[in-house]
Amino acid sequence: MWFSKSFSTRLSLNVLLIVTIFFIVVLGIVAVSSHMLISEEATRSASNILKASILDIEKTLQTVESTVKDASWLVKENSKDEKYLYHITNKVVDENTNIIGSAIAFDSCYFDGRHFFSPYSYEDPETGELKSKELGSVENDYFTQEWYVEPKKSGKPHWSEPYFDAGGGEQMMTTYSYPIKDSTGNIYAIITADISLEWLSKKVDDIHPYEHSHSTLISAKGKYLSAGWQANMTDETAYSYAEKMDDPRILEISKNMLAGDSGTMRYMVDNKLSFAVYGPLSNGWSMAINCEYRDVLERSSKMHVVLILVGLVGLLVMFIMCYFKIRQLTQPIKEFSKSAHSIAQGNFNAQFPKVKSKDEILTLRDSLEEMQKYIVTYLEQVETATSAKKRMETQLYIGQKIQEGMLPKNFPNDSRCSLNARVVPAKEVGGDLYDFTINGNRLYFSVGDVSGKGVPAAFVMAITRVMCHLFADLGLPVKDVATRINNSIAKNNDANMFVTLFFGCIDLDTMKMEFCNAGHNPIIVIPPDGNPYYLKANPNMAIGVCGGFDYKGENLDLRTGTKLLLYTDGVTEAEKADKEQFGEERLLQLASRTDFRDLSSEEMVSTVHKAVTDFAGGNEQNDDITIFAITI
Amino acid sequence: MEVKIENLENKTMVVLSGRLDTTNADKFQQDIAPLMQGDAPDIEIDCTDMEYTSSQGLRMFLMLQKSVTARKGSLVMRNMKPNVKEVFDITGFSNIIRII
Repeated sequence: MWFSKSFSTRLSLNVLLIVTIFFIVVLGIVAVSSHMLISEEATRSASNILKASILDIEKTLQTVESTVKDASWLVKENSKDEKYLYHITNKVVDENTNIIGSAIAFDSCYFDGRHFFSPYSYEDPETGELKSKELGSVENDYFTQEWYVEPKKSGKPHWSEPYFDAGGGEQMMTTYSYPIKDSTGNIYAIITADISLEWLSKKVDDIHPYEHSHSTLISAKGKYLSAGWQANMTDETAYSYAEKMDDPRILEISKNMLAGDSGTMRYMVDNKLSFAVYGPLSNGWSMAINCEYRDVLERSSKMHVVLILVGLVGLLVMFIMCYFKIRQLTQPIKEFSKSAHSIAQGNFNAQFPKVKSKDEILTLRDSLEEMQKYIVTYLEQVETATSAKKRMETQLYIGQKIQEGMLPKNFPNDSRCSLNARVVPAKEVGGDLYDFTINGNRLYFSVGDVSGKGVPAAFVMAITRVMCHLFADLGLPVKDVATRINNSIAKNNDANMFVTLFFGCIDLDTMKMEFCNAGHNPIIVIPPDGNPYYLKANPNMAIGVCGGFDYKGENLDLRTGTKLLLYTDGVTEAEKADKEQFGEERLLQLASRTDFRDLSSEEMVSTVHKAVTDFAGGNEQNDDITIFAITI
Repeated sequence: MEVKIENLENKTMVVLSGRLDTTNADKFQQDIAPLMQGDAPDIEIDCTDMEYTSSQGLRMFLMLQKSVTARKGSLVMRNMKPNVKEVFDITGFSNIIRII
């Protein structure tokens, strides 16, 4: 498993793959170009060998030709001396080792009136002894033979096609014939020299530059003068052989050779790619050397094998070195991954490995470390924020609970008055209060709004309420109650919290109301037979703002059936989505509706609340709403 | 609520615009924190573009007033819209903060 997982292994394999592809491409280019070079070189070299061989054979043939030519002069000088003529033929064979037989064939009736006369010397093919005999006879009519007919007809020296000499040398040979003319130019004799094809074949066969190459010498008519590479080719011509091979290129070679051209040709024989170089000899013969590419390319193939082996070893060494080097270089990454894993497990103090190199790995390390610091800081912030928020929520919750617990739930069942109120707290604010107490014939009531929120606001509210009750029980005038509460709260008010409070007291016997407005919204008075109005009052000052303030109280005579509507700014400042406020005007209009004065206190509270809610139309309430209705 | 504070040679000009309500009272407290420092400050608050203040907002002005008084400085608020002025009047704040 480690093999497939390791980063360094994968990287090494990738590098190896790329280098291998590169290596194969380079090897291919080297192979192709070296093959081309070697092929060209081989063709050139074969051509040179061919030229040298042709020269060599021509030289040998020239010695034969000049020997015969020299002898022709002697024949001219002594054409009537039979003994000397034999001496000449003996000498020709003896002088030139390449010549195995020589004849002087006279025209009919030229010598001594004889029809046939032809002194002939030859090497006995079995003993090698020099022998002489008369060649012409009825059985051996030389006047019909090519070596006699051709030069006689053309008057020029002639190399015969290969033939089996049955009457003379008893072997395959070719004959050079030279015509001897008298002073009038009449040909009266033909002097010849025979060359053994066996000897010629051997000479040609010796020319083979490569192991599987062979050489061929053909006559002017395409007959094989050398055929050592294939038996029984004596009757075959190059042309008939080519036709048998059924290969257009071999046929083309044969044609070109017969036409006396020189050149090079590639072809396939027995599924082996080969090439032939060919060229003419001066006497009309043609010679070819055939080579197979497998011989030529053997050396380069060997070189390629060595190259591949060296390459493979090189690749292996490179892979191992690459693997270890990359593993060494990527070691920090491995350690990073461990550290990162450790962080992921929650260990935020995990150390990153030290990096000495100033490269991307160092950058990575720095980035990771930065990330780690950021995460730690961020988590701390989140933790702090979360706990702060939780604390705040808890405070608000506690504050709200205190506030709720403080507000009177049960309204008095008193024939002299009916009361109803409700507080609808907003999400984050808790500070509205209402309160009442009936002490004998005196009804104390209050509505207020503590600025601030949470537990501190709830406490201020609690203190305010407790003191209201306390001072009410003592029967103090409302202005004194306000003054005392203010002094008490203002004394230790570092948070600068304050309470707006409307504080009133109605004598249920006389219907006289005494009230004190400590910075609160004016209340609405709804007389039984007149228009509702906002009760104008000395604003004094919100409680808790300024210690030592002397609150002023006021009086108002009420009548039975009068209703009072108290509220906090959560009512008049309730907003629609477009920030339009409910407002005092709208509240007064509501209170002025003819049916409003017939409502019970409870119905008044519900009606006002509904009106405010309808007005806001779903817009979030951002302040407590308190509605307090009193009917006397 | 937008608060612009400009320190002039002999006084600090504060320009308030928008609404000051329960939702942004805390932010406002942070914004005016610089006004709570320094000796004998002479602060003038321009309320021309102040649309509204809630009782939470009043509390901030009370804090500022007390702070300024403690440092023997002065605070004046000017150009209040009638509805804003009314809140200051109802709560009696007009008695402790100088409004012109």
